[in-house]
Amino acid sequence: MPAPSSTATTTSAIVAATDLTRRYGEGEAAVDALRGVTIAFPPSRFTAIMGASGSGKSTLMHILAGLDRPTSGSVVLDGTELAGLDDQGLTTLRRDKVGFIFQSFNLLPVLTAEENILLPLSIAGQKPDPEWIERLVDTVGLRDRLTHRPAELSGGQQQRVAVARALASRPAVVFADEPTGNLDSTTSGEVLALLRRSVDEFGQTIIMVTHDPDAAAVGDRTITLTDGRVSSDEDR
Amino acid sequence: MRKVALKGLLARKTRLGLTALAVALGVMLIAGTYVFTDTINRSFDRIFTAVYAKTDAVVSPNDSIGSQDNGTVPSLDGSVLARVKALPQVGEAQGVVNDQSGVVIGKDGKAIKSGGAPTIIGSVLPARFSAAEYPQGHAPANAGEVSIDKATAKRKGLHVGDTIGLQAAAPRKQYRISGLLTIAGVDSLGGATTVELTLPEAQRVTGKVGRYDEIYVAGRPGTTPAQLKAAIQQVEPSSVTVRTGKQQTKNQQDDIKGALSFLTTALLAFAGISLFVGAFIIFNTFSITVAQRAREFALLRTLGASRRQVLRSVLTEGLVLGVLGSLVGLGIGIVVASGLRALFKAVGVDLPSSGTVIESRTIIVSLLVGIVVTLIASLAPALRATRVPPVAALREGVALPQTRTSRLAFPLAVVLTAIGFALMAWGLFGGGSSSKALSLLGGGAALTFLGVALLSPRLVGPIASAVGRPLQALAGMTGRLARENTVRQPGRTAVTAAALMIGVALVTFASIFAAGAKKTINDAVDTGSNASVILQNINGFGPFSPGAAKAVAGVQGVQDVSPMRFSQGKLAGKDVQVTGIDPASFSTLYNVTHGSDKLKALPPDGVVVAKGYADDHDVKPGQRLQVKTPTTRTVSLRVTGIAEDRGQLLSQLTVDNQTLVRDFASTKDGFVLVGFAPGADAKAVKHAVDARLSQDFPQVEALTESEFKGNQADQINQLLGLIYALLALAIVVSLFGIVNTLVLSITERTRELGMLRAIGTSRRQVRRMIRYEAVITALIGGVLGLVLGVVLAILVTQPLDGFKLSIPVGSLVVVLILSAVAGVMAAVLPARRASRLDVLDALAYE
Ligand SMILES: Nc1ncnc2c1ncn2[C@@H]1O[C@H](COP(=O)(O)OP(=O)(O)OP(=O)(O)O)[C@@H](O)[C@H]1O
Ligand SMILES: [Mg+2]
Repeated sequence: MPAPSSTATTTSAIVAATDLTRRYGEGEAAVDALRGVTIAFPPSRFTAIMGASGSGKSTLMHILAGLDRPTSGSVVLDGTELAGLDDQGLTTLRRDKVGFIFQSFNLLPVLTAEENILLPLSIAGQKPDPEWIERLVDTVGLRDRLTHRPAELSGGQQQRVAVARALASRPAVVFADEPTGNLDSTTSGEVLALLRRSVDEFGQTIIMVTHDPDAAAVGDRTITLTDGRVSSDEDR
Repeated sequence: MRKVALKGLLARKTRLGLTALAVALGVMLIAGTYVFTDTINRSFDRIFTAVYAKTDAVVSPNDSIGSQDNGTVPSLDGSVLARVKALPQVGEAQGVVNDQSGVVIGKDGKAIKSGGAPTIIGSVLPARFSAAEYPQGHAPANAGEVSIDKATAKRKGLHVGDTIGLQAAAPRKQYRISGLLTIAGVDSLGGATTVELTLPEAQRVTGKVGRYDEIYVAGRPGTTPAQLKAAIQQVEPSSVTVRTGKQQTKNQQDDIKGALSFLTTALLAFAGISLFVGAFIIFNTFSITVAQRAREFALLRTLGASRRQVLRSVLTEGLVLGVLGSLVGLGIGIVVASGLRALFKAVGVDLPSSGTVIESRTIIVSLLVGIVVTLIASLAPALRATRVPPVAALREGVALPQTRTSRLAFPLAVVLTAIGFALMAWGLFGGGSSSKALSLLGGGAALTFLGVALLSPRLVGPIASAVGRPLQALAGMTGRLARENTVRQPGRTAVTAAALMIGVALVTFASIFAAGAKKTINDAVDTGSNASVILQNINGFGPFSPGAAKAVAGVQGVQDVSPMRFSQGKLAGKDVQVTGIDPASFSTLYNVTHGSDKLKALPPDGVVVAKGYADDHDVKPGQRLQVKTPTTRTVSLRVTGIAEDRGQLLSQLTVDNQTLVRDFASTKDGFVLVGFAPGADAKAVKHAVDARLSQDFPQVEALTESEFKGNQADQINQLLGLIYALLALAIVVSLFGIVNTLVLSITERTRELGMLRAIGTSRRQVRRMIRYEAVITALIGGVLGLVLGVVLAILVTQPLDGFKLSIPVGSLVVVLILSAVAGVMAAVLPARRASRLDVLDALAYE
């Protein structure tokens, strides 16, 4: 399958990667997690990344999100070339332009649900837009749980808080690594529906790594990795 | 199982190091103290052995009342020497002068201060008795020559042929240095400034013409020292003490040991404080790691390990830690013994030490105490580890079962605090010896600290809110998170803070005590004294020649001169302090609180008794007191009145100076109150007085009231500085505790930190968060310590007669700020660690 021309897609894409490779270790023991990935993610689209275990999904996501650096290749996120950024630059970029949803929720147990949702804004020292947050809280359906601490919430509720947290700063892109991995099918469905709504209603861009074909089916596009390469790229 | 314990230790080297250091610092001070004082003792032993090596018997005044060193004990009359010489058993007898009341004036015209060590004016001994050697020059041969110890000569750049001054009872006179002196090959008599004159000159200078401080006796061949001693005792009255050369050596060595034992005890008390704080750190570190490793213990239990084996594995960790910490402490202690000496030198006490003496006692006590303290501190956490049920291995997020002790913590805390206060009150008000009172106070304070530490988990929340809210306002979310993190595990934060609390409480206590002492003195001077200037010894406390008062009396513009003297006596078998005054002039220059008229009318045979003493011993005016004086005679004094002096200048008994001279053989003034003529130019008169004193009596200084207050404050501040320096050790130990707790908490929160970094928290923000967490913990300790210190100070000063309590608010604020700064310092390493965490590793951390 021919890769789309990188220059053509970069301009319109929120995230674009060109010729990414990532090698762990050296010499005999070296593992090539990514072996040349060129891919672009246009705005307001919900992309699922699938592949066998060890195929490089998480590695790709980490590099796209500025959490890890590629061995070679380039990543442009919302117009910024990541290779040129130092740790502080990457941190600011993540803070301002990226939202994260983790498999294991990763909420701060000492903060209430509401404070967890506002955490990225608090860290950035920004005032939340009350209208937007109201809307977000209603969308994730947590109005009556806002003052609860994570320990008092179910897994599904916790993950919905995490979704709201990822969306709170209206990032350019939200990355989710197996967001439904720790949830049963009912709550998985709720969280996925939530992600879907955020794309449809708010125009959010989402890139989600998942093992679950049903989860992937909620997206607009499914990219499959095999041994560190893109083996298929299908729009729904 | 032992392997598990050791692997566990090695896997966490930072924690191992920090926890071991918590023990090591306390042990260091124990070892350092012993090495330091043993070394001092050894050098004095050598000196005294050499000094009396050639002497069979030594005759000295009976010093059962007063002390020869401070001049309250009269010297020997010349007739004693004559009687001793006449004895058939005596081969040779030599009267000597050995006086500590003088001062040496260096080439720069300034008195040489030997920092706490005395200035000794001695007489040259004939070769038969002498232990002195002259590596340069020779012994003084005439009344114009002096020899001086080599160490002082070196320190002051003096050489044979130079001119130095001497002043004791007689006014200053200049001498040519004829030789430099060593004793037993040692350059210095234990830091003392030592000079030798010819015997008649020494007698004249020290005001002991025809008298001696000691008589050295050598027996005829065939007479044993014991026989010699017995023979002398036969002809001498009880006012004279006879010892064999060996006994005299031992006596002097014991004197030094006795004087040093106070120092040893004081230093060991500070070592105990450090170890006490260290025990908190060890307890906390073990508690945290045991909690973190609960699953590991559960797994071991599932695999068939018994409770005993789990217990042993944790205690083995404690043992290894204790051994390691104690060994390190012992090692550093031996090295820092010289550091202690430097510390004392810095506050003006120069103690001798030649070589380093390491007794086996030093090694045994240091290791034993360190190991036992560590084991005791790790026992409770080890017991908790045994309570982890095997099934916990299968569950997520195990919490340790709540133990009985933690449920009982609150009542226990209250009971401990109450007992602590009760013990302290008993020590303060219960009477009994001062050493008993001090042990009760110390034990009570330790229990109170424990009680408050147990209580503090409940205080952590409110205090953290109080000190954390400003930080939150300042730093937003990082401040908020820091505060939340400190209250997450209140027990952990509480113990960490309590360790610091102890140090802060003691610093606070010392500051308040010192401030109160200064205020007491200031108020006494302000309300009591009408003197224009006060004459005192430049060392602040020693007696000095009455010639100074006479000289000052002759200065134009000086109207009243009122010398005060201090001596001792025994009344009904108990020591009493006796003050001598000049009744007429004293009342003009000093106001007592009550009874001024009684003092003014004090007759030569009368005594005015201090109110406190009179109340305690039921003394009534008109009664006669039988007081045994330093001359060993008993005099009968009639009580003519009771006086109260809140200024504490007067001691228990006050008599006329003439009585002191006649019955107590007093020869020196303690203080002299001087009043200038009304209308005189105070500045000019003071100038003239200064000039007169520096000309003839450089040992004496004239201080105005404000100079006197400043001088007293300086002395208190020096002592306070020493106490601060020693308490700093306990505070450093508690800082290790903060570092340890932070490092362990960060490990626990690795995933959280990873998440925070992923969603855009900068490294700086992470560092700031950890730093604030440390600052809040430190401030909790600071606030608790401050409150406790204030309470303790108020309590302890309560029974002190006339003590003016004064809370130095400024200093206490500084203490609080310093606690926060300490927190910042403790956070440096943990904050760096936390900010350097690799985000991906942290997110994947399990
Ligand atoms: N830190 C690392 N050091 C060495 N090798 C690594 C590291 N992280 C990942 N790898 C290797 O890189 C390859 C890709 O890993 P990656 O985590 O991206 O896979 P994945 O597709 O996310 O798998 P899974 O579905 O199991 O999460 C694997 O072979 C893995 O072993
Ligand atoms: Mg993965």
